[in-house]
Amino acid sequence: MKNDHILITQNLRMEFDALVAVDNVSLKVRPNTIHSIIGPNGAGKTTFFNLLSGNLSPSAGRVFYKGRDITQLPLHRTAHLGIGRSFQITNIFPNLTVLENIRLACQALGRGNFRFWRSHKYFKEFEERAREVIQQVGLEKETLALARSLPHGGQRKLEFGIILAADPEVLLLDEPTAGMAAEQVPELIQLIRDVQKAGNKTVMLVEHNMNVVMSISNTITVMHQGQVLAEGTAAEIASNERVQSAYLGQLYGDLSGS
Amino acid sequence: MENTKENSFVRAIKSNQGLIITILCLIALPFVIALINGQSFSSLLANEPGQAKFYQGLIIEIFILAIYALSYDLLFGITGLLSFGHAMFFGVGAYLTGILLKSFGWTLLPILGVVAVAGVVMALIFSIVLPRVKGITFALVTLGIAQVFHIVIQSREMAKFAGAEIGLQGVTPPDFLNPISQRLRFYYFGLVAVFVVYLFYKRFVDSPTGHVCIAIRENEDRATMLGYNTFYYKLVALIISAITAALAGVMHGIFSPIIRPGITGSGFTIAALLMILMGGIGTLNGALIGAATFKLLSFLLEKWFGGASQVIVGLVYILLVLFLPYGIVGTWRLRRLQIKQGWTDLIGRFTGKGRAESS
Ligand SMILES: Nc1ncnc2c1ncn2[C@@H]1O[C@H](COP(=O)(O)OP(=O)(O)O)[C@@H](O)[C@H]1O
Ligand SMILES: [Mg+2]
Repeated sequence: MKNDHILITQNLRMEFDALVAVDNVSLKVRPNTIHSIIGPNGAGKTTFFNLLSGNLSPSAGRVFYKGRDITQLPLHRTAHLGIGRSFQITNIFPNLTVLENIRLACQALGRGNFRFWRSHKYFKEFEERAREVIQQVGLEKETLALARSLPHGGQRKLEFGIILAADPEVLLLDEPTAGMAAEQVPELIQLIRDVQKAGNKTVMLVEHNMNVVMSISNTITVMHQGQVLAEGTAAEIASNERVQSAYLGQLYGDLSGS
Repeated sequence: MENTKENSFVRAIKSNQGLIITILCLIALPFVIALINGQSFSSLLANEPGQAKFYQGLIIEIFILAIYALSYDLLFGITGLLSFGHAMFFGVGAYLTGILLKSFGWTLLPILGVVAVAGVVMALIFSIVLPRVKGITFALVTLGIAQVFHIVIQSREMAKFAGAEIGLQGVTPPDFLNPISQRLRFYYFGLVAVFVVYLFYKRFVDSPTGHVCIAIRENEDRATMLGYNTFYYKLVALIISAITAALAGVMHGIFSPIIRPGITGSGFTIAALLMILMGGIGTLNGALIGAATFKLLSFLLEKWFGGASQVIVGLVYILLVLFLPYGIVGTWRLRRLQIKQGWTDLIGRFTGKGRAESS
């Protein structure tokens, strides 16, 4: 039963002192789908991602990946299992070049990390792969630019590239388009779509742009005050009375158009 | 085939021009100093006393400090680990050398082995807290550990071996590296040591492991989430750094007539920090230049101002940090293009005159 789903959480709970940021969340994610999490600010979406990726360890509950309990896995192991994570607040190496940012991501899962008597250039495959990824996210012109010199949109692309470089099976993307200029959003969303389709990957997406969420997601989970309020397809969520009346309408505007 | 090999050889020389020129200058330097002081080469080669010998000693001390500063740059400048206990690595190397030579009559080779092992052990002790603490807390814990050693080495109980607060005196250095009778040889030995450590460090920083160390300095969380177990990389940097600093300590233990407890104290760690700050953090070259600046500055200021020199040293540091925030090498790299342009202009303007004068 567990193996039908690539990622499962059981009664996941995260308390920060008195605050319950994630409250008894049980969720199942099917492989090869885009599964979005929506909800107002403070609903616990980022905290939930932190529990999945191992950045936080839960107060209670468990996380299974391909049937394996990964709740207590050390953070650096998550990447080796095939889970990649991007952050709401851009998390890159600002003082390194675009190429080095992505090359490091390629090197992480390869061999030779502890050969300190060899030049890194000896491990050509990492640089070649990095250049492929840079092309994929459309940063060729900025290959040798420092990451911090990129405009915000470029940095978001770079972070997505860092995730892609490791070729993960599951991508946890926390508001990947946050702060991007509106005209750049469709490009990145299309890229996420392509990557998901071409690589049979599973994408979990936190996104505030309702048009994007509604058009891209196979499944949508609505969170509210740490709890799951509803779950279903885009159509089901859009027509869900409870979601509508609870807050969707007021927060994201009228959905009838999309 | 042959051709490309030769080309790459030529290229290697060209890309290391600065380094090669520096080394050639340092090889020639004792002879130049002798010339300036009107001392004959035969008296120089015979290690006869004189000004030339004194300046050789000064430069040997710079070599020792340069290795020590390099080791701190790897830890702090490259990997981003701020330690306030670095002097302990150096001090253990120096005191072990002094004690094993004087009280136990060991020869140099086994001492080097023991000191290397001691370096690893000290790195492991520091690393116990690595997974739990970060940033300033790591600095304070290392300060605490080093302070314990600083107190123990000066204690009455240790006085028989370490000479308490006066320091360890009367160490008989090995004959072939005697700092008095074989000073010129010691000089070239020191030069080779700096060169070897520097090349090894350059290689390390350029390796996959070194690149991960830089990534850890830049954003450790991101490095962890890429899949690097950052603890192991920090441990590798710590071990290499500790062994290097301890080996610099061995050189000090042989060269210095008195091994003073001051070299195990926090002041000497701060000295390492100042050297790489002045030279340029995380640049390796900066550690070398910083060590030379540090030593020459304190030597000259003491010569000119005597007792007041401490205050002036402090002022100079403040000015250096204010006006060269990236250190000498860091600022140099930033300004290289502007400076290059400036020089071209300058040389262009004075070409005729300059040439006439020098011929
Ligand atoms: N590290 C933390 N310590 C304390 N409170 C936190 C922490 N992280 C998040 N929270 C709180 O948990 C709640 C959920 O936050 P978050 O998961 O960031 O929500 P979302 O991503 O849905 O906007 C918020 O009330 C937030 O203030
Ligand atoms: Mg969030």
